[in-house]
Amino acid sequence: MDVLAGLLQGFAVALTPSNLLWCFVGCFLGTIVGVMPGLGPASTIAMLLPLTFQMDPTSAMIMLAGIYYGAKYGGSTTSILLNVPGESASVVTCLDGYQMAKRGRAGAALGIAAIASFVAGTVGVIALMLIAPPLAKMALSFSSPEYFALMVLGLAMVVLLAGASLVKALLAMLLGLWLASIGTDLFTAGSRFTFGHSELLDGIDFVIVAIGVFALGEVLGSMETREDAQVLPVPKGLRNLLPTLAELKACRFAFLNGSVVGFFIGILPGAGSTIASFIAYGIEKAVSKHPEKFGTGIPEGVAAPEGANNSETGGALVPMLTLGIPGSSTTAILLAALVLWGLKPGPLMIQESPTLFWGLVASMYVGNIILLILNIPLIPLFAQILKLPVYVLYPAIFGISVVGVYSVAGSLFDVTLLVVFGLLGYLMRRLDYPAAPLILGLVLGDSMERALRQSLMMSQGELSILVSRPISAIMLGLAALILVLPLLRRVNAWRVKALAENG
Amino acid sequence: MHRHLKTLCAVAIAGLAATTGYAAEYKPTRPIEVVVHTGPGGGADVLARFIAQVVEKDKLAPVRMQVVNKPGGGGLTAMSYVVEKKGEANTIAVFTGNWLTNPLMQQEAKYTVKDMTPIVRLVLEPAVIAVKADAPYKTLREFIEAAKKSPGKLKQSGGSVTSRDNVVRMLLMKTSAANWSFISFPGGGERIAALLGGHVDMMVIEPQEAGEHIRSGNMRVIAQVAERRLHGYPNVPTLKEAGYEIPNIPQVRGVVAPPGMPPEAVAYYEDLFGRVVRTAAWKKYLEDQQFEDGFQKSGELSKFFDEYANRMRTILQEGGVKTVR
Amino acid sequence: MAVSGRINDGDVWSGGVLAALGVYVVLEARQWDYLTPEGPGPGFFPMWYGIALVALSLLLIVGRLRQPRSELEEGVNWQEVSRALGVWLAFALSVALLKVLGFLMAYAALACFVVCVMYRRPLTTGLATGIGGAVLFQLVFPLALDVKLPVGIFGY
Repeated sequence: MDVLAGLLQGFAVALTPSNLLWCFVGCFLGTIVGVMPGLGPASTIAMLLPLTFQMDPTSAMIMLAGIYYGAKYGGSTTSILLNVPGESASVVTCLDGYQMAKRGRAGAALGIAAIASFVAGTVGVIALMLIAPPLAKMALSFSSPEYFALMVLGLAMVVLLAGASLVKALLAMLLGLWLASIGTDLFTAGSRFTFGHSELLDGIDFVIVAIGVFALGEVLGSMETREDAQVLPVPKGLRNLLPTLAELKACRFAFLNGSVVGFFIGILPGAGSTIASFIAYGIEKAVSKHPEKFGTGIPEGVAAPEGANNSETGGALVPMLTLGIPGSSTTAILLAALVLWGLKPGPLMIQESPTLFWGLVASMYVGNIILLILNIPLIPLFAQILKLPVYVLYPAIFGISVVGVYSVAGSLFDVTLLVVFGLLGYLMRRLDYPAAPLILGLVLGDSMERALRQSLMMSQGELSILVSRPISAIMLGLAALILVLPLLRRVNAWRVKALAENG
Repeated sequence: MHRHLKTLCAVAIAGLAATTGYAAEYKPTRPIEVVVHTGPGGGADVLARFIAQVVEKDKLAPVRMQVVNKPGGGGLTAMSYVVEKKGEANTIAVFTGNWLTNPLMQQEAKYTVKDMTPIVRLVLEPAVIAVKADAPYKTLREFIEAAKKSPGKLKQSGGSVTSRDNVVRMLLMKTSAANWSFISFPGGGERIAALLGGHVDMMVIEPQEAGEHIRSGNMRVIAQVAERRLHGYPNVPTLKEAGYEIPNIPQVRGVVAPPGMPPEAVAYYEDLFGRVVRTAAWKKYLEDQQFEDGFQKSGELSKFFDEYANRMRTILQEGGVKTVR
Repeated sequence: MAVSGRINDGDVWSGGVLAALGVYVVLEARQWDYLTPEGPGPGFFPMWYGIALVALSLLLIVGRLRQPRSELEEGVNWQEVSRALGVWLAFALSVALLKVLGFLMAYAALACFVVCVMYRRPLTTGLATGIGGAVLFQLVFPLALDVKLPVGIFGY
């Protein structure tokens, strides 16, 4: 179907008053869900499913999709203000976002997150609209060797996120790998490191570790001294509440980076938005003129991951809408919803239900605009949270963390784990072990091991499968490059210094 | 004398009526708790919510049903939760094949389905064997012959080693003396992508998952894992018809309850679900999802549990998977 | 970022713990299949990262021990650490009591503790923060968002 004609038809559907309302409802709910740590879009969508049976499928889809990408906007809020990742993909935003807040630039950080999300989300929709079917076919050529290479690329980011001590960063990453392997082995159904606890058979949920290590570690660290002042300097005046033009200019590449990386990784079934955020962040740091500033609170460090996790939604919808293959738990529920409404998601869906597809695409443009308008005025409101005295805010963070973790599976065992990881987070802070590599190891460890074993099963033990295929070879090469680049820089700087001294 | 006798009889009859009346009726007064072992959106959760919807729409019960998600531990968390609600008449749970298989291998499992009260078996999920549309295999026999020629080279994508996909594979390999490898993918999407991308050669897939891919011509079904031909696939032979006699290990879903549930409550739920499966909405659901009706009441269900566990244990052991029960 | 060397022995101790973990992982991994006919087994990955854990932690320890001690290095500020650990213990205790007290009461108690003991505010402020916070949690989560909070024996 002609793209322009389809899009016009889509807007005709999306801009009806009732669909606009549903879009708004979805975006609003999504933002709230995203802000609350632990509560995810998947469970909210599942809970709202029965209500949608009375609705027109297109309207229902518009609303549910609104929840899906709206949650990505909201996730950055608690990450920036409280160092509590609202959503698993927002972990990376904590790194620079919270540091910006500490320097009084909370409003700017929130603004950059919103703008990056808007730009990337829109780019994601455009890409979905224009290149979905051929891209989906390409995505099918991705299999375990390519996934493995992608994970290695992700882990190479550790080197970039290392900070002062590379050894400690690697140790943190290895610890993360160990935590990732706790649970049931997929291939043999044997259990590893469960210490006899059946609650550990499914592994440790990422949210528990992230909230414990980041948020609680930070709070415990701050409690070492009794500060009477406010936690973070509250941005005063409109200028401090929004990003400056200079900051926006610095993020030019980050917007592009986040959009592209997020979208392409989103297309791959099984790769998640967390990986997308890490890789976007890593690439941004790798090409930056001031890589050492990453982690201290610079706008690009917020823009890249936030953009990535938003355009990832557009990407994840590609296999779902064009092939009927769900890429993540949220898209799996959306797919189930389509089936329950009597539609047939699959390669023929776009031709058979053009109203749904184009209506959805058009509503995503509208939704991104709605979310931008929703989020920007909320910034001063959220920033007021920082006005609370420390002794009110810190217990609140404890409380929110517990609620967030408990809402994952309703298990007090998980909360107990949270306590343990809080202590770990504090000890890591004290001993200068960077937390980001731990999270990276945890997120990637599982997938990487699986991908490697699947690849070797496919090739019956031939390691060459990893480099004989073009895509995986390229990615492994890129990973090697990333690992070597900082070394080259150091060698170059040393050479320059030596020349200067001798000349 | 007659007067006394009459009164005596009246009292006796009234007393008898009162006691049987007291024992005969169980009616739930609070919302019925339906425990599922998946998070919202998972298979058991969707089924439970659908049942709740049917019950509410057709007013089959005086109270509503509340789905309680207890994910974790591969189903063990939900199972422990149910068993620990001993004696409760208000709690039931949706069980799937996981509940029957996982405790066989997991040392950490504290309970099995035998510790619970069976209520009803609801559905059996058939499956089909699919290959990519441009694959050279038009029948299952061709695939197996090719596998025999190059042992271990052909690949099948599927779930975990204990899933039905692999059970079918192990049984087929045993009867045909062929050998092909099995690659586990955690998500259905990834398994399908692996097949469509040409990275694996065959997979066992649920008919409703495969539907659209077959319609669009990307996948071809070469056999079906079912007792009778599904009406969606009238031209595809079942495993038996294709010449492979393997015991039928179906994917099942049904309802169980905590141990010690009073017999009146059990009877109530059997009756309730009996009425659910007769509704038009349920029949349409079975058709849409391409499930087979496998309704069994608690007596037969109990025997089914034993049979299933025994068969599964043998299959796993022969396949080299360690069992602990 | 903090100046490395703020804690001398921290590196050595943590290195030791991580090395011990590595050894444990390797020992466990040896009990599982390293290679199966189909491909790497469950013992494959753990073996490698276990070895890496041991190697890198030893590297850390050795590197630290070889560094000359300068007089400018401060010792550990145990007062600060004990404050933080004290809060953690209070938190752990409140979580342990969740089954009995339920979220709301445990939260109020923890908030009160933090305010009064850690920040030396009067008891009234502590109670106000605790109870006020608990009420807010109850309003936002179970009532507005339908998110369950852990309940104790009192039903709250």
